[in-house]
Amino acid sequence: MSPPLVAMHGIEKHFGGVEAVRDVSVALNPGEVVGVLGHNGAGKSCLMRILSGAMAASGGHIEVDGKPVRIDSPQDARAHGIETIYQTLALANHLDAPANLFLGRELKTRWGNLDDRRMLSEARKALHRLNPNFKNLGDPVARLSGGQRQVIAIARAIYFDVKILIMDEPTAALGPSETAMVADLIKTLKAEGIGIFLVSHDMHDVFDLCDRVMVMNKGANVGDHDIRDVTKDDVLSLIVKGTLPEGWAPRRAVA
Amino acid sequence: MHRLSALATLVLLIALFSFGNPAFLSVNNGLTILLQTSVIGLLAIGMTLVIITGGIDLSVGSVLALAGVVAGLAIKAGAPVPLGMALGVAAGAACGAVNGFVITKMRITPFVATLGMMMVARGLALQLTGAAPISRLGNTFGTLGNGSLFRIVEEGANGFPRVVFPGIPYPVILLAVLALGGAYLLNRRSIGRHIYAVGSNEEAARLSGVRVDATKIWAYTASGALAGVAGMVLMSRLVTVQPNEGVMYELDAIAASVIGGASLMGGVGSISGSMIGAFIIGVLRNGLNMAGTSAFIQQIVIGVVVIAAVFIDQMRNRQ
Repeated sequence: MSPPLVAMHGIEKHFGGVEAVRDVSVALNPGEVVGVLGHNGAGKSCLMRILSGAMAASGGHIEVDGKPVRIDSPQDARAHGIETIYQTLALANHLDAPANLFLGRELKTRWGNLDDRRMLSEARKALHRLNPNFKNLGDPVARLSGGQRQVIAIARAIYFDVKILIMDEPTAALGPSETAMVADLIKTLKAEGIGIFLVSHDMHDVFDLCDRVMVMNKGANVGDHDIRDVTKDDVLSLIVKGTLPEGWAPRRAVA
Repeated sequence: MHRLSALATLVLLIALFSFGNPAFLSVNNGLTILLQTSVIGLLAIGMTLVIITGGIDLSVGSVLALAGVVAGLAIKAGAPVPLGMALGVAAGAACGAVNGFVITKMRITPFVATLGMMMVARGLALQLTGAAPISRLGNTFGTLGNGSLFRIVEEGANGFPRVVFPGIPYPVILLAVLALGGAYLLNRRSIGRHIYAVGSNEEAARLSGVRVDATKIWAYTASGALAGVAGMVLMSRLVTVQPNEGVMYELDAIAASVIGGASLMGGVGSISGSMIGAFIIGVLRNGLNMAGTSAFIQQIVIGVVVIAAVFIDQMRNRQ
């Protein structure tokens, strides 16, 4: 069997005496969508920030395609094909959509000048793929709607050569039609063999889109199950109590 | 939008002063204003870069003096004038680099870090010279500040030379070149894009792979180097190095940037706006001088203008 796209082994994160992430291991295969669930403060965001290079782990190691890698910065993560859609969207409000989409990876002309024309046309293509009605590409993103801002954050993550996508609450700011668009997008990316970590509170989304769920409770990984083996109540029990209900057996075996 | 209204204000001021005093609109006075504004303009270019990153540089007035002292001492020690001036500018850049380092690596707020540098650089300038001016630096030292391009002099009918066109002063040309260069870097290069991004949302810039610390250090170093250039121009104009020159110049530079639309919250500003801001201050000073207004009243007027400019800008943004 080929190695997983990405595997995190024994990840630890301490803040002073507080253990935010305790010995967590998780893997992600090509074309797989893994839901990452847990209470606020359960450590799921921490774990994802470690993978995206936004935060340094206190311990553990990460493998991409079976090879150990060091991820010390967001640049490192991107170099390994790991892209992140942050819950905060991480957009520079005073810049326009193309500038945000290409921030840190600007397209340049032969002379090293910014190639604004090409960035605009590429951004238009990328944004229209997600939302055909996207206009005012020249406005600072502060003036755009929540949905449009989300679209920019998503476009930025998938425009470049993405292999592993981390989506942190991607539908929190979206209306119903845009949420459906994100769901379609996840299915498309999955079919392209991209692995996705989906951090979500929405149980409905998770059961609709994910192949596997991984639940965190007080910094530890308390359950990593095929979505077909658990019910919503099982997952809730993991989130709240950190254990499966008494007498649980994989649901597929029972059925 | 802000730049348009600032430009309109500038034109209005010029019209107002010319109406009051016909001599205001003469070629000579125009060149005088350009020359008087060049030092503030040079400082305002660097200040704008720093303000867009969301920072501030209070040290430029002192760094200007220290750069002058370094150049003066080097020339006294036998260095040719161009080399001495290059050393002065390098000293300014070094001060700026230290500012950037203290702010990013030691995590001191820009206000405090550059306030410290303001005192350190001033103290150094005074200590190195014993607070005495350095004079007799030779005529070449005065060329940058007092020379001009395209100066046309013809012999008058009475045998005396007559100045047909006084020429464009070198400081004005230097300001134009550096302002264009600054605007080019800010608008056409990725360093400029990153400066805006860092000031707009530092965390987003970091997560997007922008090297935030390097970008800030770059901006402060540029500000220090431009303070050095401004020091060369000023000291050259006096043909003497004055270690106590440039006190409070940082405030003029900040005022110019803010009048020109830069936001102290970061993410907003432009070189062209700041140049207009610098010239609004320059025209006000010059016009009020010609109208015989006292220096104290001038301060009051410029202070009111700064507050009014920011207030009008905020009103517009709230709509």
